[in-house]
Amino acid sequence: MVSLLQEIDTEHEDMVHHAALDFYGQLLATCSSDGTIRIFNSRKNNKVLTELKGHQGPVWQVAWAHPKFGSILASCSYDRKVIIWKSTTPRDWTKLYEYSNHDSSVNSVDFAPPEYGLVLACASSDGSISVLTCNTEYGSWDAKKIPNAHTIGVNAISWCPAQAPDPAFDQRVTSRNTAVKRLVSGGCDNLVKVWREDNDRWVDEHHLEAHSDWVRDVAWAPSIGLPRMQIASASQDRHVIIWNSNADLTQWTSTVLHTFDDAVWSISWSTTGNVLAVTGGDNNVSLWKENSEGQWIRINYESGTATQSKQSHHLRNPQQQPQQQPPSNKPVMSDSERSSNLSNSNLSHSQMSN
Amino acid sequence: MPPTETLRAGSGNNDRNVTGSEQTHIIRQSNKCYEHRDSQATAMSVDNSGQWVLLAGRGHLALQRLGQDDGTLRRHERQSKYDVSVAEFAICPSQREYCAIATSQNIDIVQWGPAEPHYKDSLRGHTRTVTDIDWHSKDPNYLVSCSIDTFSHIWDLRDPRKPAQSLNAVCMSGATQVGFNRVSGHLLAAAHDGDLRIWDIRKGSCPTHYITAHLNRVHGINWSHRRETCLATASQDGTVKYFDVRNPRRAEKIITTLSPVWRARYTPIGNGLVSIVVPHMGRGENSLLLWSNSKQTDPICSFVGHTDVILDFAWRPNQENSTEIELVTWSRDRTLRVWKIDDNMLKLCEPSPDEDEEVERASPRYENELSDLSTEFMMRPMTAAASLPITTANLQVGTNTLPMARSPSFGGVYARREETHIARSLTDQPTCSLQHEFSLLNTNMPHVEVDMLCAIKRYACFKICAADHTIILQVTFPTAYPSPNVPPEFQFCQGTTLSSELSSILLKVLRTNAMQRVKKSRSCLEQCLRALVAAMKKRVTDVAGIGTDRSQLLLQSPRLEGALSSALHDACIPFPRTSGVHFNAIGMLTTFAQVLSTKRLTLRQQMQSFTPRTLSVINGSGLLGNVMATTTNQRDPNASFYLQERMIACKRLQGKQRVMRQINGTSPVVHVYDASQLLHINREMARDFVLDKQNIAATCRRNGEICRANGRSDLLPIWLLAELIATPHSPHESMSCELLFYKDPFKKSLLESLIMHYATAGDVQIAVLLACLFDKCPAALMGVMDVAGCRLPTQLHAQRSPYHTVLPRSSSSNWQQLKQLRSNSWSDSLDWVDFKLGQTDAYACSLIRRTKMPLFDQFKRAYADVLFGWQLLSKRALILKHTLHTPAPTQGVEFVTECSGCAKPKRTPKCEPCKRPVLYCILCSLPVRGAANACLSCGHGGHMQHMMKWFERHIVCATGCGCNCLQRTSELLALIS
Repeated sequence: MVSLLQEIDTEHEDMVHHAALDFYGQLLATCSSDGTIRIFNSRKNNKVLTELKGHQGPVWQVAWAHPKFGSILASCSYDRKVIIWKSTTPRDWTKLYEYSNHDSSVNSVDFAPPEYGLVLACASSDGSISVLTCNTEYGSWDAKKIPNAHTIGVNAISWCPAQAPDPAFDQRVTSRNTAVKRLVSGGCDNLVKVWREDNDRWVDEHHLEAHSDWVRDVAWAPSIGLPRMQIASASQDRHVIIWNSNADLTQWTSTVLHTFDDAVWSISWSTTGNVLAVTGGDNNVSLWKENSEGQWIRINYESGTATQSKQSHHLRNPQQQPQQQPPSNKPVMSDSERSSNLSNSNLSHSQMSN
Repeated sequence: MPPTETLRAGSGNNDRNVTGSEQTHIIRQSNKCYEHRDSQATAMSVDNSGQWVLLAGRGHLALQRLGQDDGTLRRHERQSKYDVSVAEFAICPSQREYCAIATSQNIDIVQWGPAEPHYKDSLRGHTRTVTDIDWHSKDPNYLVSCSIDTFSHIWDLRDPRKPAQSLNAVCMSGATQVGFNRVSGHLLAAAHDGDLRIWDIRKGSCPTHYITAHLNRVHGINWSHRRETCLATASQDGTVKYFDVRNPRRAEKIITTLSPVWRARYTPIGNGLVSIVVPHMGRGENSLLLWSNSKQTDPICSFVGHTDVILDFAWRPNQENSTEIELVTWSRDRTLRVWKIDDNMLKLCEPSPDEDEEVERASPRYENELSDLSTEFMMRPMTAAASLPITTANLQVGTNTLPMARSPSFGGVYARREETHIARSLTDQPTCSLQHEFSLLNTNMPHVEVDMLCAIKRYACFKICAADHTIILQVTFPTAYPSPNVPPEFQFCQGTTLSSELSSILLKVLRTNAMQRVKKSRSCLEQCLRALVAAMKKRVTDVAGIGTDRSQLLLQSPRLEGALSSALHDACIPFPRTSGVHFNAIGMLTTFAQVLSTKRLTLRQQMQSFTPRTLSVINGSGLLGNVMATTTNQRDPNASFYLQERMIACKRLQGKQRVMRQINGTSPVVHVYDASQLLHINREMARDFVLDKQNIAATCRRNGEICRANGRSDLLPIWLLAELIATPHSPHESMSCELLFYKDPFKKSLLESLIMHYATAGDVQIAVLLACLFDKCPAALMGVMDVAGCRLPTQLHAQRSPYHTVLPRSSSSNWQQLKQLRSNSWSDSLDWVDFKLGQTDAYACSLIRRTKMPLFDQFKRAYADVLFGWQLLSKRALILKHTLHTPAPTQGVEFVTECSGCAKPKRTPKCEPCKRPVLYCILCSLPVRGAANACLSCGHGGHMQHMMKWFERHIVCATGCGCNCLQRTSELLALIS
């Protein structure tokens, strides 16, 4: 089901903290404690295309902008800086903008949906969130800061998708509420906060309270247009929580996805918003999917094992990934859902993989 | 020793102007006194029964039984470099043989058996010195500890591996005191400098209250035994304050003394409070004072006898009389004393009826006292400086002889005064601050080993191994340190492997650094040590020919200064990720994972089972000073990966490193997966799928084949179903059946539920294809009509227009609308309001209900984004053609013509209400329906063709208005863009 396309030895001199593919899946950017960002061609060979140097500390995260703005990459670092890089060719990168108005390590960056323009949100350990907006015509950047967003520090940030579903499915599309920008952030106060832009100001719309330790990552699920919204949050307390809301975002309900063996710190939604990838301190990657009954099921087990087991086995398929590193448990896919629904595509997948 | 009780009028030594018999207070000496001259105990605790006293120190633990008067100690040796910062017996009777002893960052739980103490558990979780411990008074399994690392951990002894709950104070100063509420045990208070944080442990790890209690450090917290929300705090600023946490804004009552108050505790019975006062400059006595909670002006009783600072005290029930209690004190004069607090004294603590009046009368006096206080504070530094030379001389002669030379003396007040005066030089505030500095010292500094820290003798010993040299450094601290211009003395002792030239350079480095800090009255030890290590390295690298001094710390926090800064700063930064996942827009998954080898880092927290939370646990010092040994081939076991210097080192050792990395198997490898199948989207299928609407049934068959070819045979039934939907069930019957084809309620809802099912299941590809295939959007309308036309029996063709078959409600206006729609590109830019009229019929002829259209359009747009990512641009365009709701408004220049009849701007060629065309061509004078163009300057224009022809040869307007249309328009366009 999931095929390994490429294994890239980043040859970073230190620990890698984030790796992200661009929109087309052609370029891979990795960032590391050695203070550099490396760009690879994800399809061809292992050779590094270029190395971006500009940070003076560990680089925590990188984020690609939508290609309609060009090839743009943002990075954030322990050195309290956010750097936005732009390339003309994949080997040729220049610093487009450097933002250094944070007082502590910047832990997370995320580009807004392209409908809002070139907008970047940054989360910092100084407790604030910055929203940087680029005026693409003049190339100038405008920064707006949300001070004291989370006490102690903000660890993660994610944008709400732009296609907010139309609540009433009113075919008169005169006043769509797509213009409302929303953010979700997670911080050291164990809270997940939803922010809404309201006349040039960011107001916190909701405090989502369920974690008992620092929130390490948040991810707002991409929407294909269904009248629901989902946010996933991962925490030091070893829980991943899925927050569900209806289209008008007035109420959020929480579901605990799973209790992991160790702190969870990285989560990512698939484009279609139905598969969630999770990893944490135990270095295991697990993929989760909601079945038609609303239960979350881990889908990267070997075929037939543990359909709904709460225990996390870390099974590897030796045929598929023989070259894999021992500690990193790579997803080996088989759809474990056994739903008897008519024309259930999930069902069909498990048939297929057999 | 019989208790002597003296009544003295007033308290003359404090220059208090007191009148009346109310202010008399009792002076009392101890009932029992045990001397332990050789004990180095720094902490004391009394067990629940009151029989046993624990004296804990660096070298030993000792128990003394209080009932028996032999005064012998049961001693048990323990080996530790560090002093015991606090020891506490459990409060609950069921676990009274347990006690908790905090040394450095760890807390040992010791069970006292008949013979040897049994070390039961070691609680490891703090990253800096533990400063206080408190047991839960109700649940014997719980205790709380607080530390300089700012955290307060609540431990459950049933699971000693990790704290049951960690409370983080949102501040940069370490916690000094902590206490569970005595009544319910739900509330918890911790002191951070002068502030208090109150938690409700039922409500998670955010403090419920913040109390800005004192201007200076809080030394003692004690919760009331009676009232759940009340507590008393003792502070360096010389006050004891009573707080009710429900009203955190102001203190309920304040006791003001002239000296810092070390402890203040409520009496377990009665209405009193006992405080330890640390006298300034030998003025005043090392006394305990008993206060009534209702009267803050004067103490009820003072307990005298200790000749040095009282380190701690504890309560013990009186064995004979349950209405009385006893006080056990341990002092730096190495005596343990027991004092009786009898009924009479407790009675004096009870509120008197005229209490309110008393308070009022007292208030002006407070002001006097405060001014006294301030003058005294101003005098202090001078006196401190004056006493300096003597003490430093003493220290240099032999630091260890002095404390021993003092003997507790009871030879009268005068002698005692003398004694305390000398003793003072070694205790009180400077020692407090030195002890504080020692407790703040990062004992895990790379290359530095702490051999000895002694705040009492005021010296410290370090072993520094860096750059192939070893230094044994002895630092002695003058009493006045760190007041301005009193730096500590540095000395290299035997064992130092430096040339005399080098050692003089390094000593100079130390002195300069020390002076810099001390000039501002700041502590300097940690800075000096770091500077020394850096200087040692620099010397070596200079020799090796590498000039740049990269040991300069690039990342010093601007917010914090002092010894703690980096570690505390990093305490707010999450622990770095060692693994990660990332989905990109087209379903490609990136993952990586690296082993965080515990060998690579010395995590100060020993909880290996659980990934730590903050960056600060890495070597406890964050980014500072983590340096890879440049000379060793192996990785420095202390080195974390956050290195400044390592980057240089890596360059040099790169070859070697790579080999090592491969051996370790920790090379950062990123895996790129194609997970798109998991998301039910497939690029090949997307490329191959057809959307031929000429024959929907055939298209369905073909798409089915494509699914089979790509291994999605599960989708075959769906396409079969779609084919059935597309096939009119009785093609040979009359045309009314043909109408049913689009009106069939069963097919409509079947199709809709199919699409919705696939969309909710995440298979957006199929959902969108179905939606597009059965969608009748205007662009495809003509094709559909043709299909319909072909299918219709020939005789129908003769009778009716094909348009009418599709649009049963057709009228003349419909006819026109349709014409417009298919006419030309103008329709693409039609305004919504006008355009919708035309669409009504498009909806009507679609199998998809119009209420669902906007939703399905969202699906299509989401899928179009994926196609964009796959760079299947023509497929994307094809899908987007099926969306009706194009939300993106056209950008750029747009013509708006004004109707000559109603003078309203129109975007259509015809004004509906006036029933007249809006734009006439200036050349042929006929109304313009199709492509039009006009001059931006003069506004004259007309048919595109005509305009083009005209301007091939002319540059001015055809109307003769004289406008230089081409030039003016290009100027305006340039201006706009």
